[in-house]
Amino acid sequence: MRLAALLTLALIPLSALSLMLGAASVDVAAIGHDPQAALIFWVSRLPRTLAVLLTGAALAVAGVILQQIVRNRFVEPGTTGTGEGAALGLLAITLLAPGAPIIVKMLVASAAALATTFLFLRLIRRLPPREVLLVPLVGLILAGVLQAAVTFIGWQTDLLQYIGTWLMSGEFSGVIAGRYELLWIAGAAAALAYVYADRFVLLGLGRDAATNLGLDTERVLHLGLAVVSIVTALVVVTVGMIPFVGLVVPNLVSRLMGDNLRQSLPVVAAGGAALVLACDILGRAVRYPYEVPVGTVLGVLGSALFLWLLYRQPAR
Amino acid sequence: MLRLARLAAVASAIAFAVPAVAAAVEIETAKGPVTLAGTPEKVAVFDIAAIDTLLALGIVPAGVPDKLYVPYLGEDAAKAPKVGTLFEPNLEAVAGLAPDLIVIGGRSSTQGDALAPIAPVIDMTIGSDVVAEAKARLTAYGKAFGREARAAELTAALDAELTAVARAAEGQGTALVLLTNGTKLSAYGAGSRFGWIHSALGLPQAREGLKTDTHGDAISFEFIAETNPDWIFVIDRGAAIGEAGSAAATLDNPLVKGTRAAKAEQIVYLSPAPIYIAGGGYTSLMGTLAELKAALAK
Repeated sequence: MRLAALLTLALIPLSALSLMLGAASVDVAAIGHDPQAALIFWVSRLPRTLAVLLTGAALAVAGVILQQIVRNRFVEPGTTGTGEGAALGLLAITLLAPGAPIIVKMLVASAAALATTFLFLRLIRRLPPREVLLVPLVGLILAGVLQAAVTFIGWQTDLLQYIGTWLMSGEFSGVIAGRYELLWIAGAAAALAYVYADRFVLLGLGRDAATNLGLDTERVLHLGLAVVSIVTALVVVTVGMIPFVGLVVPNLVSRLMGDNLRQSLPVVAAGGAALVLACDILGRAVRYPYEVPVGTVLGVLGSALFLWLLYRQPAR
Repeated sequence: MLRLARLAAVASAIAFAVPAVAAAVEIETAKGPVTLAGTPEKVAVFDIAAIDTLLALGIVPAGVPDKLYVPYLGEDAAKAPKVGTLFEPNLEAVAGLAPDLIVIGGRSSTQGDALAPIAPVIDMTIGSDVVAEAKARLTAYGKAFGREARAAELTAALDAELTAVARAAEGQGTALVLLTNGTKLSAYGAGSRFGWIHSALGLPQAREGLKTDTHGDAISFEFIAETNPDWIFVIDRGAAIGEAGSAAATLDNPLVKGTRAAKAEQIVYLSPAPIYIAGGGYTSLMGTLAELKAALAK
């Protein structure tokens, strides 16, 4: 609880900083009487800050859920091919129906992400249950295979840079009012996960144990997968792939306060939001007024954190 | 038809080549001067800008990439035998063609070593100083293929167009060159691959003193609002694959609408494929310059 309060406190100055920092030099305090400042605030600063908070929180929660479902701590949506699956779906719809409205593209991407997650589950069911490190490895391989398909098609159609910029490099530079609202659905999906938090904990005990405890495992499993896929797909389509959030945040929180999701999920969400927001602010400041993708910042920071986690907490 | 066209191409190449036969020529390439043993008759080309300029000189390549990406190159180029992609030349097809010269550049510039055993390879990449390098390549092709007179004609026409565009741009304020990728934007400053638009027009950057990357810099819509340029030139990456109008949708927001460029209706959408894929090709350059001139003269 103390941790939750601490993180929430950290979010306030971070959000304030995010609202004040941008390429336009306006005084945000003057939104009352300066129309340009008000425009920048309502169209750019506030939507961007909200988008970052929603993305960070939803990705971290999706990470926890996926880790409970596959019963492995070193898995995140980005290491199971879910993001690449979404990219493949988006590539397909971009090629087949270039003029399709963005909502259709997002739905196709979500469907592809869902299919990928199911494929991942089918693959890991065949693995020996004690070999926990095989699970993320298989995920990485699946992601690699899908990535290869994306690269191949992208190459053939000269769409590599297009995919690279839009989907693979997670960044919020394009976020303005009207371009991020789908992230609220991702946020809602994460909130739904909180409602069912206890059931995901049971699911994390394993299929047999969960069934013996009276859990409808199939339903909870499907719900969890839907949450993970929807969050990943909507984030990828709106701002691009953002690595590591779903991995490091849940692990750090779990180390500090255990796996009572009812208690820890809000902390995970706040932690994810704070991490992504801090990285986005860094990305805005480093090459001001140009932007460094938040995915790049996180990739550097996240790999360091991940290595630290591996070192500190060897496989159970 | 295909054979006939090829025959015609070869025949015309031979006919024009006769006076220069066996005379070794030294030409300037992206990797320094290269000496060619004689006038090439059969040339395989792995660069769209090079195909563009060669066709402008009246030279039809004997082998072209599987995909030409741009529609304006015409039937002769489209009918030429295919020799693989820009990134992956089909070495058997190239060898089967038995060319006496292979031209690479840009995306294919890393393929030189793979192609070198088949025939002499020249790298005709056009870097960030697009106009000057495009002229250098034009002159080099003219010399290599014995078409100096035609090359000089084209260079004169290009210079005339550049002068006309610069005159049309006089006193028109500042400019910002943008590339749109879905919902995301990059700015291309004076030192970048599209920076030649600034120097050709003589329109200064909307925000001076900024260091810019050759590959563009990610920017936010706030950046556009803050720089407030008089002109915005847009290259729509999405439209290069047939997503017409997506750049206009991307820029349709209150932050862009508040700029001087939007208020004066001076947001110009350039045809993306020529400038993006065949950048520095003669016909591509002339086409883009014509678009710029038309927009500025309005």
